[in-house]
Amino acid sequence: MIYCAPPASALLHQPLDAFTAVFHRSSGITHLLVPPAPQILATLSVEGLSRDALLERLRDEYDLADADPLALTARLDELVAAGLVTQRAARA
Amino acid sequence: MSDAEAPDDKAGNLAPDGVPTRRRVLVLGAVTASAVVSIRPALAQTAGSVMTCEIPVPDAGRAGSFIADDGSVVPAGTQGAYPASGRPFKGQEVKQALAGGQLPGTTWESNRAYVNYIRRLQRGQGGFTCFASLQMPRG
Repeated sequence: MIYCAPPASALLHQPLDAFTAVFHRSSGITHLLVPPAPQILATLSVEGLSRDALLERLRDEYDLADADPLALTARLDELVAAGLVTQRAARA
Repeated sequence: MSDAEAPDDKAGNLAPDGVPTRRRVLVLGAVTASAVVSIRPALAQTAGSVMTCEIPVPDAGRAGSFIADDGSVVPAGTQGAYPASGRPFKGQEVKQALAGGQLPGTTWESNRAYVNYIRRLQRGQGGFTCFASLQMPRG
């Protein structure tokens, strides 16, 4: 499964202390994100990454306190449910 | 001041030899934890009430008056005009009428007069807010 972020122009970001408010223009819905959700969103590209590739990127960029693939899947599922991330089948 | 001395807190602090001394720690969290709260627009929450709000024809200040073909309010008994509707119309009913449907309990002619009246509603008149809400685009 490949996870894709929307184009940068589709979102408005505003840091609010511990939160990051993200306004999704097409749905008109505002989302309040806490880490690691904003970092995941920033690391994913429009072209998309697999979960494992995303985990590697996050590992490159951050000290991951818990590099648990299942936890990352849960975070991605949340972002998909919120409509901030889309998923598509990986090409064979 | 050289570029190398410029503060760079994007990828952690760099020592003079370029080796990162501190990287940002990220916690993915428990599988059951939640990192996203979605705030739906107030308009979406009020969609229900928009469809059930009411538009009296005519408004209470002119109750008993008749409605002419063009939607203007005329004295009761005016020839060719229609008596007030027996009850206010719901937002949903008006929305359908504006889309070419017919208000309940009306004839083709009185429906046209009532819809013209509703289209002419202005700020401050009873039912205007309900009518204006029906015009708002929804995603």
